[in-house]
Amino acid sequence: MIEWLTWFTSMENTKPFVLVLFFITFVGIIMYVYTGRKRSERLESYKNIPLTEDEGEQSTHPEEANK
Amino acid sequence: MKHETIETNAGWLIFLTLIVISIGGLVEIVPLYFIDDTVETVKVDGKDAVRPYTPLELRGRDIYQREGCYTCHSQMIRPFRDEALRYGHYSLAAESQFDHPFQWGSKRTGPDLARVGKKYSNQWHVQHMKAPRSVVPESIMPNYPWLLTNKLNYKDIENRLRALKMVGVPYSITEAEYEANVDRYGKATAELLDINKATRNLEAQAQSGNYDGNRDDITEMDAMIAYLQVLGTMVDFKKFEDGYFTKFR
Amino acid sequence: MANEAVTTEQYNYDIVRSFTIMTIVWGVLGMLVGVYIASELAWPFMNFDIAAITFGRLRPVHTTLVVFGFGGSALFATSYYVVQRTCQVRLWGTGLAKFTFWGWQLSVGLAAISYMMGYTQAREYAEMVWPIDLLIAVTWVSYLVVFVMTLVNRSQPHIYVANWFFISFILATALLHIFNNMAVPVSMFSLESYSLHAGVQDAMTQWWYGHNAVGFFLTAAFLGMMYYFIPKHVGRPIYSYRLSIIHFWALIFLYMWVGAHHLHWTALPDWTSTLAATFSIMLLLPSWGGMINGIMTLSGAWDRLRSDPVVRFMIVSLSFYGMSTFEGPLMSLKSVNALSHYTDWTVGHVHSGALGWVAMITFGSLYHLIPRLWGTKMYSEKMIFAHFWLATIGIVLYISALWVAGIGQGLMLRAFDEYGNLAYTFIESVSFLHTPYVVRTIGGLFFLTGMIIMAYNVFMTIRKGRVEGAALDAKLAAKLANA
Repeated sequence: MIEWLTWFTSMENTKPFVLVLFFITFVGIIMYVYTGRKRSERLESYKNIPLTEDEGEQSTHPEEANK
Repeated sequence: MKHETIETNAGWLIFLTLIVISIGGLVEIVPLYFIDDTVETVKVDGKDAVRPYTPLELRGRDIYQREGCYTCHSQMIRPFRDEALRYGHYSLAAESQFDHPFQWGSKRTGPDLARVGKKYSNQWHVQHMKAPRSVVPESIMPNYPWLLTNKLNYKDIENRLRALKMVGVPYSITEAEYEANVDRYGKATAELLDINKATRNLEAQAQSGNYDGNRDDITEMDAMIAYLQVLGTMVDFKKFEDGYFTKFR
Repeated sequence: MANEAVTTEQYNYDIVRSFTIMTIVWGVLGMLVGVYIASELAWPFMNFDIAAITFGRLRPVHTTLVVFGFGGSALFATSYYVVQRTCQVRLWGTGLAKFTFWGWQLSVGLAAISYMMGYTQAREYAEMVWPIDLLIAVTWVSYLVVFVMTLVNRSQPHIYVANWFFISFILATALLHIFNNMAVPVSMFSLESYSLHAGVQDAMTQWWYGHNAVGFFLTAAFLGMMYYFIPKHVGRPIYSYRLSIIHFWALIFLYMWVGAHHLHWTALPDWTSTLAATFSIMLLLPSWGGMINGIMTLSGAWDRLRSDPVVRFMIVSLSFYGMSTFEGPLMSLKSVNALSHYTDWTVGHVHSGALGWVAMITFGSLYHLIPRLWGTKMYSEKMIFAHFWLATIGIVLYISALWVAGIGQGLMLRAFDEYGNLAYTFIESVSFLHTPYVVRTIGGLFFLTGMIIMAYNVFMTIRKGRVEGAALDAKLAAKLANA
């Protein structure tokens, strides 16, 4: 058990190990986020949250666009 | 797990964020406490070369911090040729092992002070602190005349040493601790690190050192110059072979 | 006032208004101190032999007032506003939110006074003495509770991306603050203390804190601001939500590794600072990802650059964000750092981030926010334009002067003559710094003037809002009386 753990204490082992680990995680996240048309559409739909706030509450406020 | 699970659940968001932000610090900080070579062993004739500050030097260091000297002066010489010529041997980790907090600094508006000790006379320091431009006309350092008129407050010196002892600096209270210091640093130094004798030691060093040129009272200038004069002087690099310290880097 | 009463019922805007006002107050004070200490470096007689105003004591006053006073209050204001708007729920815990306001203002004020009196921990950006640290810790935990409880009570199913950045900033700041400030007081009744760590470990902990104060306090949180106010102001959703997911996780993961690049070539082991430099370079990717996300959101609203000063603040802030997140990784390279470290190049870099990115996005957001908080239009749009130009010119002067100062001093200190001796003494490099220091002070003065104009403009806007509110009330009352 301990011998197995000591493998990690050597820099020569840990450097490539974490490099591969981080890279796979990163690629995994990218693949998850950017593949699948349905998932992409679903994720992108959440970006409208700030724009769909209840606008009625702002009625006493002036027009926001400085036209 | 879908990303939506995280986006719709504050608990998940907090939990995962905490994990993700903890990794970097854990990997970089924790090993520094366990890898032995992080702080080199520096022994001369079997005794540790780097000792904790004496009570007077410590009060000087407190004033150094109070005045924010670290905003313009570093105490960390890097291993470059120009810095070796200008300041001396590059700084060792061992040399700041008792610095709570470290004062390596991040900016040299003024020169590095890691090895300023013994480079200038006490009189030079007094004049320079009082009016820097009277000795270095182009200097932009503020004047510190009050260091010469403020009496040094050392009523709480024992509390200070005790607080430092709690964070691991080897000041001694008991006989056993004192003996351990004798083994580690030799008798003369062990005396200086005895908390029970702190007040006496402080007064004696101010008297014999006569840093501010006035033996009648102990001023903040005494403490400040005592501190500056010890900076970088504890390790005598002539006693080590060339390249001895490179193996720790 | 009727219109205020209505909004008060739905959302807690009172707390947002309080923090907004203090943002401007600390901004004016902090930048004033900044200009003052800049002039002390150019003309040392300005220290006047008064201990409380010497450079060494005032510099932490400057950094604390602008980072925690101005920046911190801006973050409280906008995060409390954004979390309510995007969760469509009133802020949880009105009393506790009020406590965070007073706790924070008191911490900043006491910190500034205590530095001038000579009480400091001498840790950069964490100079507050231990009792103030405790007050900050309590305030910060209250902030976390208020924010999280509001998230929990939300009536929107989703937590909008801006809030992820805010929550990561709150969590990270708590973590950093606690671990970096561990210390043993000299006694129960002494303001002084000695840090738990020493030497190498202390340096590492401090710069882990120091750089993440930049990474989370001055970047992640202001990205939260960007993710709400830019889409909201131009009326277009963020360019890519998927990019923002990558941006968020990559940014918060990578930032925590990079602090040790402040300690290249020091007694810190080589492996640590090399690791930090590696991550600093990787950090360029999420940083630019975020910048692109912001800029692409603004593209399509380019026509408003001419008419709308708020859009100008936003685009300039993103440009400086891109510039300083490129400069940062560059300076983290060991060879570049050998020259730049210990010089004014670093100071200039911080200011291109702090003035260019942090302050500019704050100004943009506040000019969007203030009319909505006080139910009126800004008093003068001309003044916003003037503020924009003064700020922009000020930044450019400031950072160019410090590029010259930093690179110039770095080169002078490492120059050798034909015999292999040092070409310059240290003091010769100090003389060289005089001109850049004067230009830097002028740049700062420009920026400060813009800030003062903003303060006046906001003051007049609030007054106008009150008068209009009162007139509306009178009208309503008259109508009711007639009916």
